[in-house]
Amino acid sequence: MSRLRLYTAIYVVLFVLATVQAWVESAGYLDEAYWWAFAGIMVLSFAKAVVVAGYYQHLRWEPRSVSYLMVGGLFVALALTTAAAYSIL
Amino acid sequence: MSHDHDHGHDFPPTSSVKRWFLTTNHKDVGILYLVTALFFLLLGGALAMLMRAQLWSPGANILSGGAYNQAVSAHGLIMVFWFISPFAFGFANYIVPLQIGADDLAFPRLNALSYWLYLFSGLLFVASFFQGATFNGGWTMYAPLNVPTYMPNVGGTTVVLALIMFVAAVTLGSVNFLTTMYRMRAEGLRMRDLPIFSMSILLTVWMMLFAFAALLAALMILASDHLIGTTYFTSDGGSLLWTHMFWFFGHPEVYIVFFPGLGIMAECFQTFTGRRLVGRKWFVLSMVLVALQSFVVWMHHMFLTGINLQIKTLFMVTTIGISLPFDLMVFSLIYTMIKGRIRFTTPFLFSLGALILFIIGGITGVFLGAVVLDYEFRGTYWVVAHFHYVMVAGATALFAGLYYWYPKITGRMYDEFLGKLHFVTYFVGFNLLYFPMFSAWETPRRVFEYQVGLAFWHKLATVGGFLLGASFLIMFYNMFKSLTAGEEVGDNPWDYATSAEWAVASPPPLENFPGIPSYAGGKLSFRDEPEPTADGGGDPVADTAAGAAADGGPATDGGTTAAAETATGSGVADPGMVATGGEAGVVTATHEADSGHADHASIWPFVVGLAGFLAFLGLSGVDEGGVYYPLTAIGGLLVMFGFVGMARQPFSAPEPAIAERWPFEGVENMKLGMWIFLGSDIVLFGGFIGSYLFLRVANGWHHWEHELIPAAHVTFPGLVNTYLLLTSSFAVVLALVASHRNSKRGVVAALVATWVLGVGFLINKAQEWLHLFHIHSDAFPNGWEIGTNVASSTFYLTTGLHGAHVIVGLIMLLYMIPRAIKGAYLDGDDEMLEYFGLYWHFVDIVWLFLFPLFYIV
Repeated sequence: MSRLRLYTAIYVVLFVLATVQAWVESAGYLDEAYWWAFAGIMVLSFAKAVVVAGYYQHLRWEPRSVSYLMVGGLFVALALTTAAAYSIL
Repeated sequence: MSHDHDHGHDFPPTSSVKRWFLTTNHKDVGILYLVTALFFLLLGGALAMLMRAQLWSPGANILSGGAYNQAVSAHGLIMVFWFISPFAFGFANYIVPLQIGADDLAFPRLNALSYWLYLFSGLLFVASFFQGATFNGGWTMYAPLNVPTYMPNVGGTTVVLALIMFVAAVTLGSVNFLTTMYRMRAEGLRMRDLPIFSMSILLTVWMMLFAFAALLAALMILASDHLIGTTYFTSDGGSLLWTHMFWFFGHPEVYIVFFPGLGIMAECFQTFTGRRLVGRKWFVLSMVLVALQSFVVWMHHMFLTGINLQIKTLFMVTTIGISLPFDLMVFSLIYTMIKGRIRFTTPFLFSLGALILFIIGGITGVFLGAVVLDYEFRGTYWVVAHFHYVMVAGATALFAGLYYWYPKITGRMYDEFLGKLHFVTYFVGFNLLYFPMFSAWETPRRVFEYQVGLAFWHKLATVGGFLLGASFLIMFYNMFKSLTAGEEVGDNPWDYATSAEWAVASPPPLENFPGIPSYAGGKLSFRDEPEPTADGGGDPVADTAAGAAADGGPATDGGTTAAAETATGSGVADPGMVATGGEAGVVTATHEADSGHADHASIWPFVVGLAGFLAFLGLSGVDEGGVYYPLTAIGGLLVMFGFVGMARQPFSAPEPAIAERWPFEGVENMKLGMWIFLGSDIVLFGGFIGSYLFLRVANGWHHWEHELIPAAHVTFPGLVNTYLLLTSSFAVVLALVASHRNSKRGVVAALVATWVLGVGFLINKAQEWLHLFHIHSDAFPNGWEIGTNVASSTFYLTTGLHGAHVIVGLIMLLYMIPRAIKGAYLDGDDEMLEYFGLYWHFVDIVWLFLFPLFYIV
């Protein structure tokens, strides 16, 4: 598959996944099983982010150290968010 | 000074005032940092004197209560932000490129911009004193005291904006140093063999990159509470949110402040004991460990808040844990003294003093890491004494650095007697100031009066404070006098100093080295400039063995080769301590040479810094109207003018022809800089999203969606914007594909499509916002505006920040589209498209999380 066809396929997948996220809400899954639906929606967001970073930002073709840098930033953000939220549960 | 000429470029000598406004050279910028930081030391010190005068007796009336609060707050903020770290970065600017074998930092104009943003942010702080009153809520700026309800003066807002400007300077500096240190090291210089000061700066900038991004998020939210009426820090959980965000930054900040000093201590211990640091590898690993651990200890500052016991216990454990690597470092330094032969020069005395202060500060800090003891000590002078012992330990080491590198920077030696006199008065003064506070620990912090029974200790402290202040008169006299009267020095006035800055003249020439520095042979040598070859690479030929220092070949201070071990095995090192050469798997790139000469002058960083000052000063008072409106407008326009000027100015900062680039080979400087910036931006958005999630938990997760958000806030506009942004990302990808196919029409069409889709995103968002502003329902009869409740505040501010990123991208496109029409970005010249793509896709990725969080769940 040429790069252009790959990029186009990725665009279609991203478009569909965004639609699926909205559909999860409109189909009432948030009312039926909120936290499962929440987890599914967030997993889809992470999946989309990984694909955009990996292919559109070409992270897949950069040295692995660049990916570690970005994962480091993500880890810092998640550490703050989860530990802070847990501290008041 | 000898580094006056720019190889025919229009670059004034150092005796010209114009030079200091234009310069982008790392050594000049380093000097600017040092001088400016010392100015802020005097300002912060004067405020401290006022406080100590007030505390001479329990009921003294020298300052009013409000003035005392301002003095305490401004003293803390100025010393922590505008003195200690910038002072350290004066040395980092001057010394790190020399130690790693680079001609300059990777982005010299960005480096100058960092400095001017730093200077003008400090002047903005100074301006706040003249706006009724400056910030008066303590240096930790706790909520809700930090919001306008409790701090109505414009000056309070100005300080928040000054801090934002300062953080911008820090972030640019972090990106610059990281890119430089990973991409511009001399051949054969492995990361692990970086001289210990450079290693400390490397770890410092890593911590800065992430920690200051979290602070930036907190400050932007605070500025928004001040200026546009969001309600983050006055809502349920708002106070706790501030403490989380501040201390998530604040604890790494302790090490950000201390690490450069630690690096200088280690340098001085090595030089003045003549002994390589004992256990150097473990010392470095300990520093790495502390840098990582520093992000998981912040809640020990919050033991007295309402966080749960489980998390307090966990953070007590992590806090005790972080003291362990420090133990190892302290023992390493002590053992280096034992194994070496000490020469009690002024830099060594300050280094030793720093170690002693740090040990006292560290031990007294462990008390505060224990939950039950912290219940007793929190908010008392125990804390004041403890953190001054830690912070000033770092500053003491920085003064060691000032004496240590003074001959390198000025070419002349300071007066040794006056240096030692400074140390004695400084050390006695400091301990007389702070040690009595452990006895008077029951004094409440930040309060201008205290129990009568504690007066003796406070009088001692005040005497010590003035003695400490007086000691700087000796230092400044010594520095000024020695500039002209000091004995001239050669390349290296210190026996056993081995890092590369001592291999060049004092002061070094403008472009640092007489050839291309290389450690490939095991110690520093200089190669000829590469001859261009057919494939664009170089063919460097070893030329001059350095040996420039009289006492042997300069080297890094790392390395564990047999030669080095032999050299140090006898207890006192042979001066010729050497570094190892190349590392298996490390690639020496030779294909990115730019034959052009480096430029060293640009006025635009100064223009942008000045413009930022005017814009923020105007912004501070927009609620007041009057002169503040035109000030904001003029400043804003000047900022844009400055950036356009910078973009249009031809400025050459060539990447080195030969350099060690592990682990970022093949990622050119600009691209790596962009990636590092995005790493920091992740934390910035993480701070905003984390704030939203925290407040939603604090207010009740489902209560939030049922009670605080109107029914009119629906998924559809968010979904449309997701489609628009995804499509625009795809359009940027198409632009790159068209560039590879040399299709000018394709590039232009794709960029225009990106711009149109981005504008569409903003229009859709504006329509949605206007609709929500003007809804009329039973729950929200007056619309759902920014300050309606905490949910609306988080929604508008977070998506607004994202929208601002979109606007920045659209402005970039407005610059790029005309260039594309003129035929740019073709024939392999696609870097700018790729860099823009990195940014735009990142904005897209952020939206991929904002969409579900703010529109679906």
